[in-house]
Amino acid sequence: MSDLVIGMAGAGGDGIIAAGESLTVGATLDGYHVIMTKSFGSQIRGGESSCRVRVSATPIFNQGGVLDVAVALNWSDFLKFGAELPVGPRTIVLYDSESHLDPAVLPVEGYSEDRAFSVPITEMARKSGGGDRVKNMVVVGLLTGWLQLAEGPTRKGIRKRFGAKDPAVLAAAEKAFDDGRAYAAANPIAALPGLGASGGAAGTNMLTDGNEMCASAALFSGCTFFGGYPITPSTEIMQFLSREIWKYGGSLLQAEDEIAGIGAAVGASFAGKKSMTATSGPGLSLKTEVLGLASIAELPLVVVNVQRGGPSTGMPTKTEQADLYQSVFSSHGDVLRPVLAPTSVADIFGVTVHAFNIAEEYQTPVILLSDQEIAQRKESVEPFDLSQFPIVSRREPTAEELEHYQRFRLTESSISPISHPGMAGGSYQGAGIEHNEAGSPTASGVMHARMNEKRFHKFAPLYERRDLFLIEGDPQAPLALVSWGSTAGVCREALRLAEDEGLPVKLLVPYLLYPVAEKVYQEFFRGVSAGLLVEQSYQGQLYRILRMVLDLPSGFESCAHSGAIPFQPSEVVDHLRGQAEKLGLLEPAAAAAS
Amino acid sequence: MTTNASQCSSFQINDYRSDLKPIWCPGCGDYGVVTSLYRALAHIGRPPHEIAFVSGIGCSSRIPGYTTAYGFNSVHGRALPIAQGIKLANPELLVLVAGGDGDGFSIGGGHLPHAVRRNMDLTYVVMDNQIYGLTKGQLSPTSHRGVHTVTSPEGSLEEPVNPLLYVLAYGANFVAQGTPADMPGLSAMIEEAIRYPGFAFVNVQSPCVTFGPPEQQLRAHKEGMKSLVSLGHDPTNRVQAMSMAQAYGHELYTGVFYRHPDPPPSYEKLVAERQDHMKATAVPRERLLDRFVQH
Repeated sequence: MSDLVIGMAGAGGDGIIAAGESLTVGATLDGYHVIMTKSFGSQIRGGESSCRVRVSATPIFNQGGVLDVAVALNWSDFLKFGAELPVGPRTIVLYDSESHLDPAVLPVEGYSEDRAFSVPITEMARKSGGGDRVKNMVVVGLLTGWLQLAEGPTRKGIRKRFGAKDPAVLAAAEKAFDDGRAYAAANPIAALPGLGASGGAAGTNMLTDGNEMCASAALFSGCTFFGGYPITPSTEIMQFLSREIWKYGGSLLQAEDEIAGIGAAVGASFAGKKSMTATSGPGLSLKTEVLGLASIAELPLVVVNVQRGGPSTGMPTKTEQADLYQSVFSSHGDVLRPVLAPTSVADIFGVTVHAFNIAEEYQTPVILLSDQEIAQRKESVEPFDLSQFPIVSRREPTAEELEHYQRFRLTESSISPISHPGMAGGSYQGAGIEHNEAGSPTASGVMHARMNEKRFHKFAPLYERRDLFLIEGDPQAPLALVSWGSTAGVCREALRLAEDEGLPVKLLVPYLLYPVAEKVYQEFFRGVSAGLLVEQSYQGQLYRILRMVLDLPSGFESCAHSGAIPFQPSEVVDHLRGQAEKLGLLEPAAAAAS
Repeated sequence: MTTNASQCSSFQINDYRSDLKPIWCPGCGDYGVVTSLYRALAHIGRPPHEIAFVSGIGCSSRIPGYTTAYGFNSVHGRALPIAQGIKLANPELLVLVAGGDGDGFSIGGGHLPHAVRRNMDLTYVVMDNQIYGLTKGQLSPTSHRGVHTVTSPEGSLEEPVNPLLYVLAYGANFVAQGTPADMPGLSAMIEEAIRYPGFAFVNVQSPCVTFGPPEQQLRAHKEGMKSLVSLGHDPTNRVQAMSMAQAYGHELYTGVFYRHPDPPPSYEKLVAERQDHMKATAVPRERLLDRFVQH
């Protein structure tokens, strides 16, 4: 077995997240591909918590589905996570003997009795001398043993996690880890094969989450101002920058509210700096008026919207992809605002750089539409060459252009050189009010029409940006998958599964969601008779936006459901197979297999 | 602190006056404010392109356009956050903020305490006319109780806010009030506010000739205004300043209510210190992701 999903749950004090992190760090150190997600109850402290760790020898793009290994420190907490920790007949279930349950009558549905094991986790923890607080390290030891993970990297993971604490704490953690491993060695589980060698280079991969990767990309892009207000699940972007941005001559304002956050960011951009704010849906609602200001004043700005379940407070710690309409449409007046979406911790770096470059090039706010899954999951990322990402800065007026400077001069490209305070000869009025080329207020309908045209026409080159799309699979395939955001990772794996069973499928992942690059879609859909747009919103928002702009193949359908529970690659493949059957596309072998 | 010292400025009033013709009604108090501002800026002598002038929405918020500074006539109530972003992005700029009482104390009222407590070196001039003029005569947050307007035809049921008292209570280190009825005084006050190193607040009783009541017109101001100096007020005493500020809405006191005698460091100074202190620890851009490598 080369690809495993482990799910664990416990009470707040059980340290289940620390166990997951130690395993995740260990597996990353050892060169595996790893994705770890965490989930908490609604309590601020002390509630139940869980994590999922997917470890694989081959690249992975989503958190995986039904658990291969389930660890329950106690059943009441485990069961609170329901479909987030799905157990099936093939799941190995490990649970603390303190639960005093017969494997035949576990409270969890769908498991297979002969694959459930009572393990004296609490007893081992107490015997190790560390007490109940090292139950989690017993678990790490057990899993390291049974999955035949290399001991060294995991021990290093534990040391990284606990090294900064009291030496006694670390010693107790390591003792519990060793006891867990010894127990696994003495009590092998035949049904649980080892993970197999990672095949990856040890000690070279990165491990981080989407929010930190996004913030790093902002610094890389030359962002020197951040204004924002804390909101789950985007806050780690501000937290990261509040440690780092000063080092680069930048500054950060934790504002009094969402509006002030974007207001300060717009001010910094007006003053000539690359600028950013980050928020989630409710915050974007509050920022919307100022977004319109940035559009009409033609000021570069990156606005990160880390989506969560909505509307309103919704589900702050769960992912969803239902803010697309909001990102594309929320404004009064005629506005075109580019919207970009990353699909993973690995690609949010490049997509963030693109967001800054587009904001600067076209003098516009850009929405970077991340989601909770990408933002907060830990993912191992292979190192990549940063020099592949050129950095674009706004076009400033030349000395000659400053002689009779007009801030909103109508040019062929519709992009006007932009000055900033401090630049002699470049003074102008930035304004939310409609203006003429010089920037002076106007109530002329003719001028308003010209300026609207300018503010739309300047984006023309964006429609040709094929580099803002990922296309995989057989270009001639009659079945098409389109997906975006974290769900795109599910579809990348679905594509592989589908190809393995002989389904003729290809995949389009737009990083640029809006404006809709019609030609890219038209070329992709040429020869396509059916397929799915897979996304996590009740309405299927991208599907509806594409239908607004494009003629889609008649058999191309929306495959959408509400957030929180991720799609599974197998479920996407099931849909595709159904479509293939209808179209008579299945070759005899594949048809027989289904 | 006041300022005959800078007569050597090489700039004239006209260097700060733009070609744009104000939309204000003839006789509007805001003309006096913008003229006082030109005078103050000419005294100070910063080149116009080194000035960023931010406003919100309202009659008075048109003011940046009547200057040759870099102006930003933004959205209703948000001038202060935008100005703070500008100041942090480029602390060398002279940053002015202006607007009306609705902009500053109603729709944007939530920003004021935070602008004050951060203490960036900004000058915030409010043209307080106790009415919404641009939308033709509705109640404002500083309208008196009982006043009849188009949205209070039976008389207002609310007490007005007291901006002077609020701002003093928020901890502002420079708080003054003026009126275009005393142009030399207003001009000197704005100049002093701009020169003050930190957040400075100037409330200007700027009459609305079209919708304002007779007792709030320039003639009434001229007759009724009392300078704080003539009343023996000690502007280094915040408690006394708050006591004098209680008269807002009843008496027109002009001059400096409070001036912190020992100005604390501005926010952007502290930021600069932090940047200096931390810059040695910056990793080169191309190695920004090294921190994430597990080894």
